[in-house]
Amino acid sequence: MSIQARSLTADPQRADVGRLRLPGDPGSRLTDSRGAGRVGRVLSAALLAAWFVVPLVPLALWAFADRWSFPAVLPSVWGTDGLESAIAQGAVPAFWRSLALGLVVAAIATPLGAAAARALTMGMVPWPRAVGLVLLAPIALPPFAAVMGLNVVLLRAYVPPLAGLVLVLVVIALPYTTFAMRVAYAAHDIGFEEEARTLGASPWTVLWRVHIPLVAPALARAAFLAFLVGWSDYIVTVIIGGGTVVSLPLVIASSAAGIGNDSAVAILSLTAILPPLALLLLLGLAGRRGAASRRSRPDPDPIDPRTARSRLHEPGAAR
Amino acid sequence: MSLAPLPGRTVRAGRPGLRGTLLVLPAVVPALFVLGGGIGAAVAQSLGLLPLIGPVRLSLDAYTAQAGALPVSIAVSLGIATASTAIAAVVGFAAALVIVSGRWGGRIVAIISAATVTVPHLVGAAAIGLLLADSGLLPRLLGIDADAWPRLVGGPWWVAVVAEYAWKESAFVALVVAGTLATRVASFDETAALLGAGRLKRLRFVMVPLCLPALVVSSAIVFVYTLGSYEVAWLLGRSYPEPLPVMALRLFDSITLTARPEAAAVAVVTTAISLAVVALAFLALRRTALWR
Repeated sequence: MSIQARSLTADPQRADVGRLRLPGDPGSRLTDSRGAGRVGRVLSAALLAAWFVVPLVPLALWAFADRWSFPAVLPSVWGTDGLESAIAQGAVPAFWRSLALGLVVAAIATPLGAAAARALTMGMVPWPRAVGLVLLAPIALPPFAAVMGLNVVLLRAYVPPLAGLVLVLVVIALPYTTFAMRVAYAAHDIGFEEEARTLGASPWTVLWRVHIPLVAPALARAAFLAFLVGWSDYIVTVIIGGGTVVSLPLVIASSAAGIGNDSAVAILSLTAILPPLALLLLLGLAGRRGAASRRSRPDPDPIDPRTARSRLHEPGAAR
Repeated sequence: MSLAPLPGRTVRAGRPGLRGTLLVLPAVVPALFVLGGGIGAAVAQSLGLLPLIGPVRLSLDAYTAQAGALPVSIAVSLGIATASTAIAAVVGFAAALVIVSGRWGGRIVAIISAATVTVPHLVGAAAIGLLLADSGLLPRLLGIDADAWPRLVGGPWWVAVVAEYAWKESAFVALVVAGTLATRVASFDETAALLGAGRLKRLRFVMVPLCLPALVVSSAIVFVYTLGSYEVAWLLGRSYPEPLPVMALRLFDSITLTARPEAAAVAVVTTAISLAVVALAFLALRRTALWR
């Protein structure tokens, strides 16, 4: 194979992976596909996008279909029968219950996972491998098995169903929050906190003004994953809740198990999809804004520990 | 937090001690209680040590009572989990390759697969049902009559169940593999290309070895999840033979008093299979080139 001059990049900054490349940009990577390879790449991307999107299409069509008899490709009568039926099945209180459950699980599992991840990353824990395994174990065990056994224990200890449910969901969420925070703390520079302490900040001030702001994006990611656990759980709510906690998935299940209420199922399903999607969008936008503000800050804020530290590291700066 | 500015005393060089223990205990204690208590109670119940009524008697009755149905359920569960994991791993790997290619197509696939991960499995099951059932969207689009359409939902081959797991979990595999690839793949791939490696050789000798650890870990998680998940098989499957979780929950809800220990026995069997699969995945991980 021949190496063409235009395929070598002179400026290492241009070799960014995620940057959008436009035709006419100087330099083109050797790994870029051309001709038939390029067509194949675009085609495979389109196929994969279809694979992920197509299963959700019937939901969108059924949601506002009042009548859709069999051979028709599109609904024959549009309307809001499904919406009314979903509300009659208790969708609204179930929505709030599920939202509260997700938020409570996130509010508990995120700080627990963050504290454990910090201690594990900083090497402050005796038997770190065993502790790490215990915190990852819930992902490797079938939840229904643990919950069936635990049901007996909780009943004999007179733990109210709601408390037991939150406890189990928090434990199921812990692997996600711990893992997300371990990744974050592995890249976290403890020096910022040390310098704030050196400059006279109290431990609480350091925690709220330096430590938490620095790991905030990871905390948001961890909280999002924990929210998903509480929001989408079905089997734990059925077994531990014993029918006293009717969350959105329970309403969807009883509706989907019946026959003939397809439009109600579609409305309920869309209701269950939208809140996590909105949170994901918020997370993405916040991450993008954070990255943008870090890149384009003309005048470094002297109080910002990030710039303060980088100044200390400038050649000639006294430490 | 006492980060006193004494020389040589930094948290990075933190030693195991009371502070660290206190920081992990609030997470470790509930985890140990739920896992240890739950699995322990399930084992005790399945051996007749926690009867709802009657004397405590150590026996294997709960395991032998379902001797006929249990092997069939194990086979069905393993089959569904294997098929779902295989499809999810292949599609997820392909999606990860497209995502790290970094073009706009890759970015769209990344966004869509991230959105797919957030969809609850129960909703996925309802959607797949509306797509693949004999009155679903797919036979309508293809113009096939309901009688001529194969029984994908509730049929003998569990097609709809496998399709739902493969769909949702391929998005999970894609995100995990793309996440581990994104940091280092560009330089390795470019170097291999510069040294004259073609497309297939780069896939075989660069991409696959780089992806393998993440692929093994995420596939093991998918397999164990599929094995222990209830709602999809319950909604889209058939009533006999049953996968393990469906069988366990039917026995659990049964009004017969001997059924609870039998449900616990099914739960213990499922747990044992899950642990065996995780152990196998660890062994496979040790054999990959990148394992330290």
